[in-house]
Amino acid sequence: MSHEIKKVSLPEVTVAEIEQRQGEAGTPADYEVGLQSLSQWQLAWRKFRNHRLALIGLGILSFLILVALVGPFLLPFSFSDVGTRPDQIVSQGRGPSLAHPFGETGGLQRDVLTLVVNGARTSLFIGFSSMAIGVIIGTAVGAIAGFIGGFVDNFLMRIVDVMLSLPILFVILVFSKFFGQGSALIIVIIFGLFSWMGVSRLVRSLFLSIREREFVEAARAVGVRDRRIIFKHILPNALSPIVVAASLIIAGNIISEAFVSFLGFGVTTTPTWGNILSQARTFIPQGNWWWPFFSGTAIIVTVLAVNFVGDGLRDAFDPRSRA
Amino acid sequence: MTKYIVRRVIQAIPVLIGITIVVYGILLSAPGGPTAKFAQNPRMTVEAKERFKKAWGLDQPIPIQYCRWIGVCDPNGEGFDLIGPTGWPSFLPTPISGSTNGLLHGDFGFSITSGEAVADRIVRAALPTFILAFFALVIWISTAVLIGVYSAIKRYSWFDQIATIFSYIGFAMPTFWLGIMLVYIFGVSGLLPVSGMVDIRTSPAFGNDAYWKYFGQHPINALLDVGKHLILPVFTLVVVNIAGDSRFVRASMIDALNQDYVRTAKAKGLPGRSVTFKHALRNALLPVVTNIGLEIPFLFTGAIVTETIFSWPGIGKLTIDATTQFDYPVLMGVLLITSLIVVLANLIADVAYAVVDPRIKY
Repeated sequence: MSHEIKKVSLPEVTVAEIEQRQGEAGTPADYEVGLQSLSQWQLAWRKFRNHRLALIGLGILSFLILVALVGPFLLPFSFSDVGTRPDQIVSQGRGPSLAHPFGETGGLQRDVLTLVVNGARTSLFIGFSSMAIGVIIGTAVGAIAGFIGGFVDNFLMRIVDVMLSLPILFVILVFSKFFGQGSALIIVIIFGLFSWMGVSRLVRSLFLSIREREFVEAARAVGVRDRRIIFKHILPNALSPIVVAASLIIAGNIISEAFVSFLGFGVTTTPTWGNILSQARTFIPQGNWWWPFFSGTAIIVTVLAVNFVGDGLRDAFDPRSRA
Repeated sequence: MTKYIVRRVIQAIPVLIGITIVVYGILLSAPGGPTAKFAQNPRMTVEAKERFKKAWGLDQPIPIQYCRWIGVCDPNGEGFDLIGPTGWPSFLPTPISGSTNGLLHGDFGFSITSGEAVADRIVRAALPTFILAFFALVIWISTAVLIGVYSAIKRYSWFDQIATIFSYIGFAMPTFWLGIMLVYIFGVSGLLPVSGMVDIRTSPAFGNDAYWKYFGQHPINALLDVGKHLILPVFTLVVVNIAGDSRFVRASMIDALNQDYVRTAKAKGLPGRSVTFKHALRNALLPVVTNIGLEIPFLFTGAIVTETIFSWPGIGKLTIDATTQFDYPVLMGVLLITSLIVVLANLIADVAYAVVDPRIKY
């Protein structure tokens, strides 16, 4: 289990690196002098770097985030712009062309590229921030359950059981209908409130095993207070599996957002990849394939990238795999 | 074993109670409430509203309302009246206790929009969903196991590589996007029907009496018709699951193939086929059983979108209609039934795991 590495006893530095460092510093040929211990995170990054798909995923994800941040300012259109013939409502949009690389929508003839780029903004925002809410709640609940144990643990885990038994997407639909009114922020909160259960189970099991370890016992023996034990001794050792789980939540929530928006219960005020698909649906029989195609591709590419990064993280944090 | 099953069933009870509390909470948090439908009605005076509330027991404190809603309390008595009309406790079945109210007696209330009993509407919508889910389940499991096992036996072959790429993409693909694209491809070309359950030009709408009469007269035509309409929804529904589970089966199979007993069997000189299928596969499928049990509920959530795209008249469509029209009783019924299915599926998965793996002692 990946949380079992705490402190690295043997630094992983290749001979070539040592020699290189010696060349720079001009130190005598005593190998021990050149050694430098790496922290758990440095080691993880070293292994992550060697995971080709994960690096590609990270590259794509960074690019998408960049597009979401600056893309809307660089494009000639705004997402509310309608086409050149607003007086005519046409069911048949126009396919990809030079001026509109992703084509124009049927109906209001909006630029699909502009919609998809603006959609990236909302969809990624929802994916990442709802993940943050979910992970914070999940970690808190899991930590309390695992650390205190007993009745509190039992009670909290039964709540998790109940939440996991509810068809969450149904419940999210209902809540979005009740409170959503199309705003992205409320969707983020609803998604956050319904994506913490997996994390809390994970964190609880980590806390249960870590709190029995010798270093926690030692800390307790010298009189360290509970709060410090939780935040300084247990949590840092539980962090890597949480990071991996978090990456999966992002992917799941991006798909769920698209799902809810597609059904018409999600964000309506700004474009998201889901509501683009939802609007495109009625125009499919007229042959507007480019309208849903590109936002769907954007979802697939994003989720693939996030999954690859997650795979890379999992391997990087796994003490059994040494790169 | 029996002891384990009994204990597992008892453990499920608090979860079920928790679910009813959550669903009831959702209902309470709904904007408007039961009297909202009178907001535009000028003849509905304050007194009439009070009478309405009293008649339906809405003037009672929330715990009492909840108690009556699940059917433990008798609505005709005062407060927490636990005794039914016949003098037996109210939560017992109707023939004994005489009580007819509440979930325990199958009373899910009445639909706001159509006035029908919620239970009737759900039962009517359940058949199409079960047809869809059944075929999806059979195809999903068999395909996933076939692909996974073959990938594991021929690891790193071209088949395995292609299966890996497809499973990554399939896993990242939103179901409904696939559905939309299929509607485009097959709807525009007219190769397969993309909407509904039966061809309305030749057959009555599915489920009503006229349909069953038609079914009796032309059973083969009717079956072929439904079968043709099933292809695209089932395909849409299973792709994500096949992508995920074929990976899972592959990993589990590779794990099993690396075990000592497989090497021993090979060393004894048993034929490769017998080692693969008798020694490795049987053990490889153990974790798969649990995993599939946990994923069955997904068929019902996934069905919402699939049914919406392909206008399949099932539970998913009922949910969407009820949500759009604020039809709370139907919504609560659907939530309760689907949660019950999840709990049951988990239970069956646990028990099945104990049955197929005799090493497990409880």
